Amino acid sequence: MRHPARWIAAAVATVVVVLGVVFALNVGNDPTAPQASPLLDKAVPPFELATLDGSTVSSESLAGKTVIVNFWNTWCTPCHAELPALKEFWDAHSTDGDVEMVGIVRDDTTRRVRSYVGEQGIDWTIALDPGSRAALDFATRGQPETFAISPSGRVVGSQLSEMSVAGLEAMLDVARRTG
Amino acid sequence: MRAALGYAALVVGAGACVVGISVLVAGVRMRDAVLLRLGRRCVFGVLVASIVAVGAMEWALISHDFSIRYVAENNARGTPFLYTVTGLWASLAGSILLWGLILGGYLAYVAHKFRRRATDPVVAVALTTGLVVALFFFVLMLGPANPFETLARVPIDGRGPNPLLQNHVLMAFHPPVLYLGYVGFTVPFMFAIGALVTGRFGEGWLTDTRRATLVAWGFLTFGILLGAWWSYEVLGWGGFWAWDPVENASLLPWLTGTAFIHSVIIQERRGMLRVWNLSLVVATFCLTILGTFLTRSGVLDSVHAFTESDIGPWLLTFLGITAATSIGLLAWRGDSLRAPGRIDSAVSRESAFLANNLLFAALAFVVLLGTVFPLVAEAVRGSRLSVGEPYFDRMTTPIGIALLFLMAAAPALPWRATSGEVLRRRLLVPAWVGGLTMVVAVVLGARGVWEVLAYGLGAFAVAGIVRQFVLGVQGRRRALGESGPRALGRATRSNPRLYGGLVVHLGVVMIAVALAASSAYSSNAEVRLRRGEQATVEGYTLTYLGSKTSTSAQKTTISARVRVERGDRELGVYAPAISTYPNSTEGIGTPSVRTGIKEDLYLTLVSSPGSGNRVTLSVRVNPMILWLWVGGGVMAIGTILALAPRLRRRPSRAVAREPVPESEPELAEVGA
Amino acid sequence: MTGRVWPWVALGVLVVAVVGILVWPNGSERRAERAHSIAAELKCLECQGLSVADSSAPTSKAIRADIRRQIAAGRSDEEIRQSYVERYGEEILLQPQGSGISLIVWVLPVVVIAAGATGIWFTLSRNRREPRLHATDADVTLVDRERAAGDTRE
Repeated sequence: MRHPARWIAAAVATVVVVLGVVFALNVGNDPTAPQASPLLDKAVPPFELATLDGSTVSSESLAGKTVIVNFWNTWCTPCHAELPALKEFWDAHSTDGDVEMVGIVRDDTTRRVRSYVGEQGIDWTIALDPGSRAALDFATRGQPETFAISPSGRVVGSQLSEMSVAGLEAMLDVARRTG
Repeated sequence: MRAALGYAALVVGAGACVVGISVLVAGVRMRDAVLLRLGRRCVFGVLVASIVAVGAMEWALISHDFSIRYVAENNARGTPFLYTVTGLWASLAGSILLWGLILGGYLAYVAHKFRRRATDPVVAVALTTGLVVALFFFVLMLGPANPFETLARVPIDGRGPNPLLQNHVLMAFHPPVLYLGYVGFTVPFMFAIGALVTGRFGEGWLTDTRRATLVAWGFLTFGILLGAWWSYEVLGWGGFWAWDPVENASLLPWLTGTAFIHSVIIQERRGMLRVWNLSLVVATFCLTILGTFLTRSGVLDSVHAFTESDIGPWLLTFLGITAATSIGLLAWRGDSLRAPGRIDSAVSRESAFLANNLLFAALAFVVLLGTVFPLVAEAVRGSRLSVGEPYFDRMTTPIGIALLFLMAAAPALPWRATSGEVLRRRLLVPAWVGGLTMVVAVVLGARGVWEVLAYGLGAFAVAGIVRQFVLGVQGRRRALGESGPRALGRATRSNPRLYGGLVVHLGVVMIAVALAASSAYSSNAEVRLRRGEQATVEGYTLTYLGSKTSTSAQKTTISARVRVERGDRELGVYAPAISTYPNSTEGIGTPSVRTGIKEDLYLTLVSSPGSGNRVTLSVRVNPMILWLWVGGGVMAIGTILALAPRLRRRPSRAVAREPVPESEPELAEVGA
Repeated sequence: MTGRVWPWVALGVLVVAVVGILVWPNGSERRAERAHSIAAELKCLECQGLSVADSSAPTSKAIRADIRRQIAAGRSDEEIRQSYVERYGEEILLQPQGSGISLIVWVLPVVVIAAGATGIWFTLSRNRREPRLHATDADVTLVDRERAAGDTRE
């Protein structure tokens, strides 16, 4: 091969340019920003959980309604922080008839949950997920994580951080419109 | 005042670079000695400017001058003195200041060392290159990463450094040592460019920069090991290397740098592989810039993401220009560099070095590919992919084992060609030592293939090294009548490169064995204990004694005191802790480690002891970790030995008492 | 000839035997080991660069418990991994699997090493084929002359 140095240099240069382009496209990213839930736009995973008051809640029992599912527990600090927003949201929509809110607790004890719910005056459905199975089915990646499920059973919204009232309203809106 | 002084120093530094570059370029063009000497002086100006700038920043930090944004963000009144001083490199702008200082130091070293060759075009072009690099960093500091930016409203107290950067004394060592390594590779790079531009390819530039290259390599090795130690002692996840993108970024120049310091030996002996060596030097430098880019640009998610900044595009552009210039120069000159030497035999020192080059290059390729692949895949496919520890371990372990084999066998191979007799004499016994070690390891319970191979090859290597030392000492005793210890001292000092290199290899064996053992056996358990309760893990009995809270201006710490016993021997009270700092809501865990010769007991507090006096502890038993650090220390000693000046042989008045035993031709020589 | 080679051959046999013993699949892996090795291949999505096996985050603990459940239910390693990929996407696997672009990260290093090794081999064999130096007639005459002169100078 004549002038092998030039060929090799050209090959190396090509690889370097490709890498450079890839880097340039990614500069300015924030890779620590939470990504969208893997469940987005998929069907809600079937679940069936016991609630605090002794009955059960399941994906079937909630079918046809717009559902906000909120994963939390009593020792997660951001969960405490978002509680007022959740209460305000529920106060506004509990009488709507087509909206349901379910708080799913994992990694906690029934006793602590019960006393917390009592203290804080939480009046939406609270379900217990002792083995974290529902949490895994929902592909949760931390706490608190909130999902919005449309009446047709599709996950149309998710957020992996504290919710605000505005955020909840927006999720509700999208879910209702999806139908 | 301090900000103004610091910024002015940066301006002067940048100015000195510009003047120096212009003067040197003109001087080379016009062959004007006066200009070239002036250019040399500008380098010292750059050093002075960077010293003043760093001084101004330290002054500002120590006096808690919160009118400067950098101080307000990285220092607080409650920050202990040590962490105030180390705040210089706590985040981006300050660490560029540190880079500038170290670069100024190395450039001044080059300017001083080559003062009698100031008119040599290679030196002039090398200094120009160095000044261009320095100019880039000064421009960064004048613009996007200004450390002396002032705040309109002066806060009463600063935010303080990131909690992870103020809870261990290693903070004082790891970044500066690492930078001494990274920046040091600018020196051989400068001379490589000098050689390429001037067309002077003789081995002169190699010898000239040999010392600096080895120093840089030594610091980089030590810096990486300090980082691993930090990961282990401070981050609390129980491991020391996570194949994190930034860790990989520091490993890449180390791999090409190590390939280089070995490959230059062929170039010195036989004049071969010039283009390859130049490429290695250039690649090493580019990889240090790439490493900085990956650490600072936020392109890849990493544990090192202490700072977010927008200097990413600047670094990428600089990297692109450097890579393009170097590749261009190599393409232009490369073909006229082909050397006349040939490799005669497949079993020879030359072939071993070729294989060594191939393996290190393969390692670097694997690490680079794995690190950037998620980015590439996402660009092509849109969905995210991870490349993590299982991939890296699987791909690098076989290559590492092959390198261990080379390390054991190659120093005994003669140059050019060998015979079966020579191989037998030099290698058979050490090889059998290795083989028997493998059997012993299996008998003692080792079960992993790679692990047992590592033990065997390690023993093989150590046997070869010991043999080398013994021969050296015996030779001197017989020929010169020196006593044992004296002969050892003199032998090593009469050939420091050889013996220093052997000691470094010894350190590598220790690290390899530690890596093999710890990857095979680490165990992990979680225990929940009430006060006074006991649990037994892997033969250790742990008793939870209670928790303690302590508060200082810097932080609030909750620690769980745990008594550790083994059998009926008490080993002490250990206290893993969680600390909360005023500037952060999340607690930072601090592990408590009992270091033993055979294994470490590693305790972390999983959650603060809440009500009910229950605490959850994570208990890990990590084998052989101590030997990682000891091996690192041995490598450092070996590097220092290799840098020692050769002992001049005084004319000996002793008559040789016995015929001198057939002398062993010089074996592995590295660096110096 | 055999006298010089047999120590090496014996050593080779020993090493191969030891490696063979270690590589031979020895019954079933204990459940705990299986669980650990599967967990080590899954990424903890809440953490920075840790695997599910190493992390103490709640989701990781839940996944470890779920893995143990699935192992007890008799599912294979591949099925368990797949169940997580279905839920979380390919991102959760710490080493790329499957076809398409993922193969590149496995195949490319092998290709590169093979290419490098081939290149070295070619260089070596090319050198061997051409003898380095050729004695010209002038050289031969010179040597003969010196030899003759040397003999007489004895």
